[in-house]
Amino acid sequence: MNRDLDKNYIRQQLINNATQYENGDSMNAPWVEKYRPQTLDEVVGQEHTILRLKRYVKEGNMPNLMFTGPAGVGKTTTSIALAKEMLGEYWRQNFLELNASDARGIDTVRNDIKSFCRLKAVGSPFRIIFLDEVDNMTKDAQHALRREMEMYTKTSSFILSCNYSSKIIDPIQSRCAIFRFVPVKGHQIIKRLEYIAQTEGLKIDIAAIESIVYFAEGDMRRAVNILQASSSAGEEVTEESVDEVVSKAKPKDVKKIVNKALDGDFIGARELLRDVMVVQGTSGEDMVTQIYQEVSKMALDGSLNEDIYINLVESIGETDYRIREGSNPRIQLEALLTKFLINSKAD
Amino acid sequence: MLWTEKYSPKNFDEVIGNVKIKDEILNWTEDWLLGKTSQCILLIGPPGIGKTTMAHLAAKEFSEYIELNASDKRSYDILKNTIGESSLSKSLYGDGLKLIILDEVDGIHGNEDRGGTRAINQIVKEGKHPIIMMANDPYSKRLQSLKPKCNTLIMRKVHTNSIVSLLKKICVKEGVEFEEHVIRNLAKRSNGDLRTAINDLEVIARGQEKITSEDLELLSSKDDIVNIFDTVRTVLKSKDPKRVRAAMRVDSEPSFILEIITENIPKEYEKVNEIQSAYEKISQADLYLGRAFNTRIYTYWKYAFELMGLGVALSKAETYKKFSRLTNSSIFPKLSKSRGNRNLEDKVAEKMGHKLHASKKVVKEQFPYMKIMFENDETAHELATYFDLADDEVKLFRSRKIKVKKSKKKPAKSSKSTTSSKKLSGESKVETSKKVDVESKVSSKKKSHSKNKTEDKTVKKSSKDTKNEKESENNSKDSQMSLFNFNK
Repeated sequence: MNRDLDKNYIRQQLINNATQYENGDSMNAPWVEKYRPQTLDEVVGQEHTILRLKRYVKEGNMPNLMFTGPAGVGKTTTSIALAKEMLGEYWRQNFLELNASDARGIDTVRNDIKSFCRLKAVGSPFRIIFLDEVDNMTKDAQHALRREMEMYTKTSSFILSCNYSSKIIDPIQSRCAIFRFVPVKGHQIIKRLEYIAQTEGLKIDIAAIESIVYFAEGDMRRAVNILQASSSAGEEVTEESVDEVVSKAKPKDVKKIVNKALDGDFIGARELLRDVMVVQGTSGEDMVTQIYQEVSKMALDGSLNEDIYINLVESIGETDYRIREGSNPRIQLEALLTKFLINSKAD
Repeated sequence: MLWTEKYSPKNFDEVIGNVKIKDEILNWTEDWLLGKTSQCILLIGPPGIGKTTMAHLAAKEFSEYIELNASDKRSYDILKNTIGESSLSKSLYGDGLKLIILDEVDGIHGNEDRGGTRAINQIVKEGKHPIIMMANDPYSKRLQSLKPKCNTLIMRKVHTNSIVSLLKKICVKEGVEFEEHVIRNLAKRSNGDLRTAINDLEVIARGQEKITSEDLELLSSKDDIVNIFDTVRTVLKSKDPKRVRAAMRVDSEPSFILEIITENIPKEYEKVNEIQSAYEKISQADLYLGRAFNTRIYTYWKYAFELMGLGVALSKAETYKKFSRLTNSSIFPKLSKSRGNRNLEDKVAEKMGHKLHASKKVVKEQFPYMKIMFENDETAHELATYFDLADDEVKLFRSRKIKVKKSKKKPAKSSKSTTSSKKLSGESKVETSKKVDVESKVSSKKKSHSKNKTEDKTVKKSSKDTKNEKESENNSKDSQMSLFNFNK
């Protein structure tokens, strides 16, 4: 019975892998996927990490790993590249990628991982399980995971990735070699964007690239997305077209929300915020970043008093933190809007 | 015999309050007895005001009745069987009409009474039986589908004065001496709930000759289930910790209570610092809800409750003496309106996430860029193919349909045709643009760039004419650019 189940499971896994890693139609893929580095050497930035990972490959063995760092700096890319080099020809059969934020329940850990780990690796020295965004797993699931990590040390290694290692329970952290991924440096992003532009036959000037780098804030995924979006508008990518893309991609109406609140129309501002977040589906993180940028801009062009500005920064920063801790980002942002009210009266 | 039973009305005349509803029910009963079918009745109102009493009084008029309340299991099958059968088997006596009384329909349990609401809906829709239903919470989800099919009657709380006079009557009949203010106090604290008022009176008065204000101490304020809007009203109107805490004992999800309180803060509070301080408490309450969820330590909820209740209540300097209409949060209609779109987003994000090695959340963050990429017909087609998106899924990124059929054929077969001219010129540019890039890096003087840019623009404008011209002009543009750079 069980064996049949396992067989079916493995077959399914193979099919999944085949579609997931198939490069046949990568010509049509969005550039983030088309230009995803395939080997450790190709990975942009993270030199120290890559150096050590290569040593693992050389030794043919690796401990459980944890990659922590912000979005778009190469955690997933590095994991897949590492798996390929570590596991060799049959890496697809021995590599399981699970996105923790989608399937983050305890059931996933108990079923999927277990049935994958239980089987011995074929064609590779061991199996690798890559769990993305572990910080989005519940604590219960993390505890279950910890048991799995202990039980299958002989057959499998884990790579866990997360944005905030503080959200991972200690027992898991202590079972992993932790690698901190840092934002990709500007000159490295420039190099990569130039390479992509060349290969795509894109005309782009250095000012445009620098502008992309500025907006990307070390996030390679965002950089490549901006580049592709800018290029789809016309033959040529200029600073202006980059600006246009970035402002188009921003959540709408943030300026209006801020101004309404500053004018003392709290209910109006709140209603607009709800529209943007609930109807347009903008995330809390995006909103808070946007509000911060909007407010900074106002301070720069003098339409906002410096003292008020610095108080607002304090509130925005606190809100940014609370969004991550709390349960409903929208509530936190509504609370932030009230902070704009008193400042409007103070001046 | 309990006093509540002893003094419960024996006929419609004795019923206190809600005169209009009394008449409606009487008329309704007559209609049925005369053989006219009529919409069923849904009585909604707080506990202890006589909903069940009225239903039972109506039942007296019918030859028989069945009653199902929360103590009975009310799953789909059970409801269908009990009610279905009762309607088939004609009564031996009288005209064969059986009244069906369904008490506490908002209390139909999601799991235990699976399908219960569905069964009721069906039976009500058929409309063959006289049915009276009762419920407390007018905002209950389970009632939403039912309400439009019924004659919904909202019963109000009984006025304090009516309660006072009834309590006095009982005292006289029982031979108990009373002080006016004690009775008034009893009536007031019952908050319009007749049953509680009579019960309380019985507790302090039974077997006594006299009741005084000291007897009131015996009574602890009742732990009744409060309507969510009563809770919110108390939180916003009161500054009394005891009352606020009691009001927070409402049987709802904490996040839901938080939402309704939050919604109404700026509608009641007028001073900016009050709104700020109240919202600060709300923000902290939300933090504890988040922590409880993340750690599964649900004891954190108590802090959340205290902060969103008393915390908000104490944020005002003084209580407002005004009437403000409390409303449901505007996010609920917004949520339901955008539900379809959100489901679509989820579906697409999942599909794309598989290929992009990313979670739904990460994929959704890329949607704005995708929208821009999808503006271009060619890229749109490529991406749609790559992600295997159906037409309705493409709509997420662009409102126009992709000219799939056209662009599918053209670039595939005739590479020199009009649509692919873009591609061609692009390819021809590869080498030159490479040069430009290299050169520009070498000569990385900003001046040259700015000049380059202006040059480009003028050329670009003119190149928008015909497609054949475009190609040649592109070439000339390239040559111009490289020339320009050589000049540097």
